Amino acid sequence: MKLIVAAVILTLASISAGQEDPEARLLVSKNVLNNYLVEGKDLTVEYKIFNVGGGAALDVHLKDSSFPTADFEVVHGNLEVMWERISPGANMTHAAILRPTKFGYFNFTSAEVVYYGKEDKKEQKFGYSSAPGEGGIVNRKDFDRRFSPHVLDWLVFAVMTLPSLGIPCLLWYSSSRRFTSHVKKQN
Amino acid sequence: MAATTSKMLTILVLAVLTVFTSADVCLGPVVKSETYTTSETTVSTETVFISQFTLTCKNGLQNINLFADVAGRMIPAVRTTVTNQYQITITDEYKALRSGNYESRFYDEEGFSALKKARRNNEDVSTITPLFTINISHGGVWQGTYIQSEFVAACVAILVWWLAFSTKSKLTP
Amino acid sequence: MAVTKKTKLSREEELLLQDFSRNVSTKSSALFYGNALIVSAIPIWLFWRIHQMDLWQSAILFVVFSLVSTYLVAYAYKNVKFVLKHYIAQKREEGITKEMMSKLSEDKEMTKKEKDERVLWKKNEVADYEATTFSIFYNNALYLVLLIVFSFYILKNFNPSVNYVLSVGSSAGLLALFSTSSK
Repeated sequence: MKLIVAAVILTLASISAGQEDPEARLLVSKNVLNNYLVEGKDLTVEYKIFNVGGGAALDVHLKDSSFPTADFEVVHGNLEVMWERISPGANMTHAAILRPTKFGYFNFTSAEVVYYGKEDKKEQKFGYSSAPGEGGIVNRKDFDRRFSPHVLDWLVFAVMTLPSLGIPCLLWYSSSRRFTSHVKKQN
Repeated sequence: MAATTSKMLTILVLAVLTVFTSADVCLGPVVKSETYTTSETTVSTETVFISQFTLTCKNGLQNINLFADVAGRMIPAVRTTVTNQYQITITDEYKALRSGNYESRFYDEEGFSALKKARRNNEDVSTITPLFTINISHGGVWQGTYIQSEFVAACVAILVWWLAFSTKSKLTP
Repeated sequence: MAVTKKTKLSREEELLLQDFSRNVSTKSSALFYGNALIVSAIPIWLFWRIHQMDLWQSAILFVVFSLVSTYLVAYAYKNVKFVLKHYIAQKREEGITKEMMSKLSEDKEMTKKEKDERVLWKKNEVADYEATTFSIFYNNALYLVLLIVFSFYILKNFNPSVNYVLSVGSSAGLLALFSTSSK
């Protein structure tokens, strides 16, 4: 009995291994490219699709519904797109720019991908992208305080230092010119 | 009289041509586009170009497959849920995508395969005219000025001190 | 003409004394301390606005170190002024003498000695004035360079309070040190 089962399994394995019809297999990565996640500033989400299978993927639909409209607005790009065909070995890049409307922690989850693995378009395959995980979105005010170039503060600093440098320098210069120019005139 | 005949002839020829070609060629493409490029390092570790556009063909062709040749790469344009709306995306290191104008040339399937073939055989590709082009203007990636403003301050201070120091050296032999 | 020979000598002596001593008059001392206080208080702005220190919580630290810095900066002013005064007096000698002589040449009643005394007095005044203003300018410029380099480069990653204490302390300390070492 056991032998028969083993034989059946082996046959099944050899059938699937010997399958002539190559099938597409897509791996999808989703990444948030930001150095800092800031409320009201651009959030760059990048999707990369690799076809690691032996056949072309057809009618590839990528859909990311992990961004609630209450927390994010889409500024550029689309969260639902379609490729007609992705050849075996090829990789595709897609991106969208969003803007977080609130600050705090947010769990970035995966996008979905639906496609046909074979040319006959009979069986739809379904998959998930990788999930970037939890990220902290910084308050816009805190971010500006830490990372703004402080141009105004430096200008005020310049104005503050100007009298303590300018006044003694001008006083000295006018006096020194009075006596050195006098010598030159006489010469 | 002769003018009207020739006009009519032209219309006829055009109509015939349209009948022959309307199946796969987009005639008189009208493109409305919007582009985005990464403008500062805080929002992305890589430079991202996004170009979204809506294509309208005079002959009513819809949802055709488009391919783009931009910044030395050939990529398919993705379709969105909106009819005739497309997007192309390019991501690379900051260094690889410097500021400047990137002309993206769009081809339909036929034009694209002709382009690929010409590239393979090292032939002149200028004869293959794109369906339309979109200019992606990248203003460069702002690295942030937090370091720069204090650097400027330090430079100005050192310059003032250096002037004072050289004057002092002249006074004291 | 009313000036007697004796008082003239004592005045000359006094001028010489003033010239060579490090003691400065109350007026210029006030000028030094006032300037030193202003330049020593400027770092507070940078540490408050850019290094994000709390103005009230760090008030004691700010006051104490501004005063320490004021003392050291004023000390540097005095030293540099003393060194410069001699050189400036030498440099300006010709110019001052010529100007004074052309001014006093009309006064035929004045003796040669008296004219020399006027020139000497003028020379001392000009040299004192120029040395004072230049010393303040030079030391302020150096202090600001040291402060920016210390607080934004060398001690950049320190806690703001430590950064403040060390950068103000080292800038003022180095300023005082340089003023004694320079010729």
